Amino acid sequence: MAGVMAVLEQRGGTLKRVSHEVLTAARGLADGVGGEVHVLLIGGAGVSAEGVGEYGADKVFVVADDKVADYQADLYASAAAEQAKAGDYAAVLVSATAMGKDLAPRIAARLGSTLASDVTQVKHDGGIVVVRPVYAGKANYTLKVTGSPCVISVRPNAVTPVAVARAGHVESVSPALGEVRAGTVEIKAPERAALDVAEATVVVSGGRGLKEPEHFAMLEELAEALGGAVGASRAVVDAGWRPHAEQVGQTGKVVSPNLYFAIGISGAIQHLAGIRTAKTIVAVNKDPDAPIFKVADYGIVGDLFEVVPKITEEVKKIREG
Amino acid sequence: MKIAVCVKRVPDSEARIKIGGDGKAIDDAGIKLVLNPYDEYAVEEALKLKEAAGSGEAVVVSVGTDAAQETIRTALAMGCDKGVLLKTDAKELDPLPVARVLAAELKDGAYDLILFGKLAIDDYSHAVGVMVAELLELPCVSAIAELEIADGKGKAEREIEGGVEVVEFSLPAVLTAEKGLNEPRYPALRGIMMAKKKPLEVKDISLDAGGIEVEGLAYPPERQAGKIVGEGVDAVPALIEALRNEAKVL
Amino acid sequence: MTGRFVPADHQVALPREQLILTEEPGEERIDVDVLFVGAGPAGLAGAIELARLVRGDNEKGNGIGEVSIGVLEKAAALGEHNLSGAVVNPRAFHELFPELKEDDFPFGQPVAKDALYFMTEKKARRLPMPPSMHNKGNYVASISEIVRWLGEKAAELGVDVFTGFPAGALLTEAKRVIGVRTVPSGLDRDGNPMSSHMPAADIVAKVTALSEGTRGLLTQAYRQWQGIAAQNPQVYALGVKELWELKQPLDKVMHTMGWPLPNDAFGGSFMYPLEPKVAALGLVVGLDYPYRNLDVHELLQHMKLHPLFKQYLDGGELIEWGAKTIPEGGYYAWPSRLSGDGVLMLGDAAGFVDVPSLKGIHYAMQSGIYAARAIFNALKVGDVSETKLIEYDKLVHKSYIRADLYKTRNMRLAFKDGFYKGAVKAGLMTATGGRFPGKRIQMHRDADVPRDAGGDVAFAPDAKLTVSKVDAVFKAGNATRDTIPTHLIVGQDISAEVAEFYSHLCPAGVYEVSDGKLVVNPPNCVDCKATDVVGPRWTPREGGAGPAYKRM
Repeated sequence: MAGVMAVLEQRGGTLKRVSHEVLTAARGLADGVGGEVHVLLIGGAGVSAEGVGEYGADKVFVVADDKVADYQADLYASAAAEQAKAGDYAAVLVSATAMGKDLAPRIAARLGSTLASDVTQVKHDGGIVVVRPVYAGKANYTLKVTGSPCVISVRPNAVTPVAVARAGHVESVSPALGEVRAGTVEIKAPERAALDVAEATVVVSGGRGLKEPEHFAMLEELAEALGGAVGASRAVVDAGWRPHAEQVGQTGKVVSPNLYFAIGISGAIQHLAGIRTAKTIVAVNKDPDAPIFKVADYGIVGDLFEVVPKITEEVKKIREG
Repeated sequence: MKIAVCVKRVPDSEARIKIGGDGKAIDDAGIKLVLNPYDEYAVEEALKLKEAAGSGEAVVVSVGTDAAQETIRTALAMGCDKGVLLKTDAKELDPLPVARVLAAELKDGAYDLILFGKLAIDDYSHAVGVMVAELLELPCVSAIAELEIADGKGKAEREIEGGVEVVEFSLPAVLTAEKGLNEPRYPALRGIMMAKKKPLEVKDISLDAGGIEVEGLAYPPERQAGKIVGEGVDAVPALIEALRNEAKVL
Repeated sequence: MTGRFVPADHQVALPREQLILTEEPGEERIDVDVLFVGAGPAGLAGAIELARLVRGDNEKGNGIGEVSIGVLEKAAALGEHNLSGAVVNPRAFHELFPELKEDDFPFGQPVAKDALYFMTEKKARRLPMPPSMHNKGNYVASISEIVRWLGEKAAELGVDVFTGFPAGALLTEAKRVIGVRTVPSGLDRDGNPMSSHMPAADIVAKVTALSEGTRGLLTQAYRQWQGIAAQNPQVYALGVKELWELKQPLDKVMHTMGWPLPNDAFGGSFMYPLEPKVAALGLVVGLDYPYRNLDVHELLQHMKLHPLFKQYLDGGELIEWGAKTIPEGGYYAWPSRLSGDGVLMLGDAAGFVDVPSLKGIHYAMQSGIYAARAIFNALKVGDVSETKLIEYDKLVHKSYIRADLYKTRNMRLAFKDGFYKGAVKAGLMTATGGRFPGKRIQMHRDADVPRDAGGDVAFAPDAKLTVSKVDAVFKAGNATRDTIPTHLIVGQDISAEVAEFYSHLCPAGVYEVSDGKLVVNPPNCVDCKATDVVGPRWTPREGGAGPAYKRM
């Protein structure tokens, strides 16, 4: 019976959150094609598939081997391709993370099959149909994907995980892992320099509304509470208040965090062009007509010097318990 | 050291994307087409490695229309030695057929390294370079931000979520370049003059049919104007509530 | 106390020692036979004509041999720094490409109908078309597209077109021009080289043709150095232009006079259908207005809310925005010499613009063609001194460029004292075929016209049709590196009034006033050159900086 295989991702033996997203996408697609969701989890000896059934997995194949505790591109690709060949799948789904973006084309090449990368939607509509943003998010393709099985990588944060209880029957497997051509020898901690605005999942940006460079301390505090980075508008960078590396916008950095705060930023197109792909935008500005409110998901009209410390206080409360 | 750099001609990142009348492809009238920015990192790395080795050859390879010759010339102007255009008018969205023609071209070239950009900014596929490595059964590291090559061996770093993978391999190998690997040079005037005289071979090819069919191309939905949660400090609790339970980002 | 001032008093002199170099060409040296500085219609037409003459001569046997032709352009890609209305007279295209038909040329639509309006704040009254403004047989076109097309033709003929390389100085030897030095790139704000640094290169040429366009820097320097005067000083206008996609089709070429300009400012607006639903819209104002606070960009924004324009623009979308100056002095502002030792001046750089008919592109191309013929003949005899290149002056003075501009020689000048007096005089000039008033009207430099309080533009922007300067710069495609060193030379001790004047003068928000002090944002600059005329001096920045016009 044609089903869907989802390749999950773990770090240090623990499933990553994106695994629930890819499972949810796989469940939806499997229901469309009328098949099961099989999961492939590759990890070290102690890797746990606990809870996978809660997100719609019918069957869970676990490859537990210390050789593959961390991502090893060649071994993972071999295991996934072997496992995919062993079943009769319509599609193999992977998260388009750093691992998935590397792994998905390897699986597709080994299967001699079609790859659709970094999709934001997968559905069954007279065949497998995906939506894929292209041209830097300026257009979306709707594509019909064929191949047996086709390989699809799903963009993180694009699918909201939905709990659907299924058997989640766990089975140990040992597909051929093949040889290592290029081997990961170490995983280093990222250099602990200030978090880059382009990579942070939360960005707190400030503009001229802050009035003086010293007031950015307020944004730093909020960013720290959220584990995010501080960004800046071009105006304050030009004024020398903040370093150019923090500038968000068309001539600075293009960011796509989950949460973006625009504090005292009016919202020139230049700036908006840099935050188009942010998931949630919050604006705080005293001018209710500021263009930033046209793109912000949530806005507060008011004095940022009162509002921001209050937000920080609330966030700290949540973070502390 | 003999290095191949595979490049693609793509619409400039600032181009205003206009969807054509058929609703399935962009209208590329008046669109500026450039060397894919990630490929510039690959070109720069090839030139640096060649310069460090003191001798060798950097060959630019592209799959594309006749106009891609101009893009190859850009890489030649930066300092690559010769170019090969695998010419086709087909615009294939499935990466594997493209990888196959490149692998066939590169297979017997005795390259020490084959470099790609990690993705092309038109279709964001992230795939062709890795697929070529798989087809040629060569070691491959994708999206590298650091590279050291010595004595027929290489060590590369690639960024992953919350960490950096250090990967070792031996040559020949395929690598795809991430932003930040280097600072690509601009072609100098002299380089542009010389590029005109460098060899550029054009080979007609055909691509296998892939497994991707375009149903439509559409603009993303306009960002909906959100709501003003309220005024002043009193609105903060409502904002926090919305961020936690509606947007689910806290 | 009105804060009246004369802009020239606050302007620094042209930095001639940086622009006229006498040292030997450096190591980064390239040799070409002929170099055109600026890939606009003049430079590219010249390169094409010259390449064809060379090819034709060689095909006859015993020809001139190989002649290497280079065109230097500061924009990152062809057409990105070109801006014009434009309604184009195809005449020079026919001369350059006799084998092609009008359909082959890179034009938009032929002009079907012409309309001229006199506007007041609420109304627009249709006026009879003056004969000079008739556009039968002409085409609406985008100069960016024309330039890209000409560039392809030039490349096919073997011309080297180098985009992204601004010329920053003339290389000279005695009084001969022997080439140019390009501008280095990859410098940080303080002028220190970064990892992407590329040093300046010297391009040595037998002949250097200055086709720099409006307010050409090297042209100014060369004329000053060689003392090449004119009967009248050159005067300029600033044009701000927008490209719109319309919901309602526009079926005619429109021009307006009057509102929103004050009576003592010279100018008008235009709206042209490039396609049935794509329109070019702009406002042009002479820089001799007597005010401090007149702001062409803001006037254009206000103008778009007038019913005459609003009816077309409503529901449409602003695609592009740009600005550029126009040399409006006409015949009397032509340099007394158009060529010198190893050098010629072409197109807008020489002032070949006819204001009454609002045309310059075909004159620019035609001047390029004549330059090419003179250069070819000079190369043929191996003498590129002024005694041979003067053939270019003769060709231009015998041509329709001179005939057309001589006929309208006093037309723009008549308006220096305001619109109504000017309109009466202009009518008499038309009636007498240019003979009225029988003598040259003396002009002042724009920078010598005193500026006083006033000229303020007061209106409520609507976020749909109007656009702020900051957003306009974005729509110009300007993605200049923010860390670029400043390229603008501002005078000392700029008073609050003068700062105010600059901030309104510059359409791109380069100059702002904060607490009475001038704040300069150089990356915003779109190279329109307006402040070079009456304020801070413009110099070229690293290649590719500035706007990236697609269809202006």
